[in-house]
Amino acid sequence: MYMDFSDEDLIKEYLEGNQDSFKILIDRYTTSLYNFIFRFVGKDNTPDVIQDVFIKIWKNINKFDISKSHFKTWIFTIARNTVTDYLRKRKMILFSSLDKDEESFEDNIKDESLLPDEALSKIEDNEYLNKTLDQIPPKYKEVLVLHYQEDMTFAQIGEILNKPTNTVKSYHYRAILLLRELILHQDL
Amino acid sequence: MEQKLQKLFKQAKYQPESRLSGDIWRVINIRDRKISIIKSWSYGFAGLLSFAFLIPTINSLIEQFSQSGFYQYLSLVFSDLGSISLYWKEFMSSLVEAIPVTSLMLTFLLFFILLVSFKRAVFSYRSQLLTA
Repeated sequence: MYMDFSDEDLIKEYLEGNQDSFKILIDRYTTSLYNFIFRFVGKDNTPDVIQDVFIKIWKNINKFDISKSHFKTWIFTIARNTVTDYLRKRKMILFSSLDKDEESFEDNIKDESLLPDEALSKIEDNEYLNKTLDQIPPKYKEVLVLHYQEDMTFAQIGEILNKPTNTVKSYHYRAILLLRELILHQDL
Repeated sequence: MEQKLQKLFKQAKYQPESRLSGDIWRVINIRDRKISIIKSWSYGFAGLLSFAFLIPTINSLIEQFSQSGFYQYLSLVFSDLGSISLYWKEFMSSLVEAIPVTSLMLTFLLFFILLVSFKRAVFSYRSQLLTA
């Protein structure tokens, strides 16, 4: 019955005492969050981190303001912060560690030749694409994952990263350039 | 390029173990139960404590009411209504002055704590049963 409910309706149901509606939210977002977290902390650590993320969501769900942001954006913000904390604790590279040059690009990529067919055909192999993504710095990788895997707009990604939309577009542009460079000049 | 990349990224998604969401739900349920148990014990304890303090406070309140002459003033309502209607302002101020305000407020406060603690303890106990 609750499967067709929107996220916001499920939250309302949960806050009114229907415990099962939170279980549906977990089922709905486990794969998305798993994929996002996996790319930064690795397979072995992902279950623990995703568990922390859902516990934080559960603890703070009464603070979530439906009128201010989308639930998906909110949970990915929590996921990103949890991953950042996790990486910081382990003194691993942070999302912000490469924030030196943040000039913005006015427009989104329009140039189809940025990733030519040759490059696109190479990444049709899932394993190859995942290995290539592993080599991209976190702050660029997260933009690619959120945009292409989670269908988020640059504005939504900006909300998660707490950056202006133009900065996100700039990261996206650089990420595509890096992806192209890795695909065309490296044998993985 | 945009659509092609979206398709490729989605194809490359990792699949979590099928039991992962169930495991997360279980952990949340365990935490929820723990919190409910702690809450119901805390509220129960607060309720008991306020009840324990409420009894001597009520006794003291009754004593203070009789010491201040409140009952005597009040009995005038039944015995000498005529004088009261003539001097009602003086009567009312004497009656109000005879009220032991501090003890009365303390009694109300303890009674309020008792009711809230009882209500919350029942609520926490009920949510324990729901998540069990």
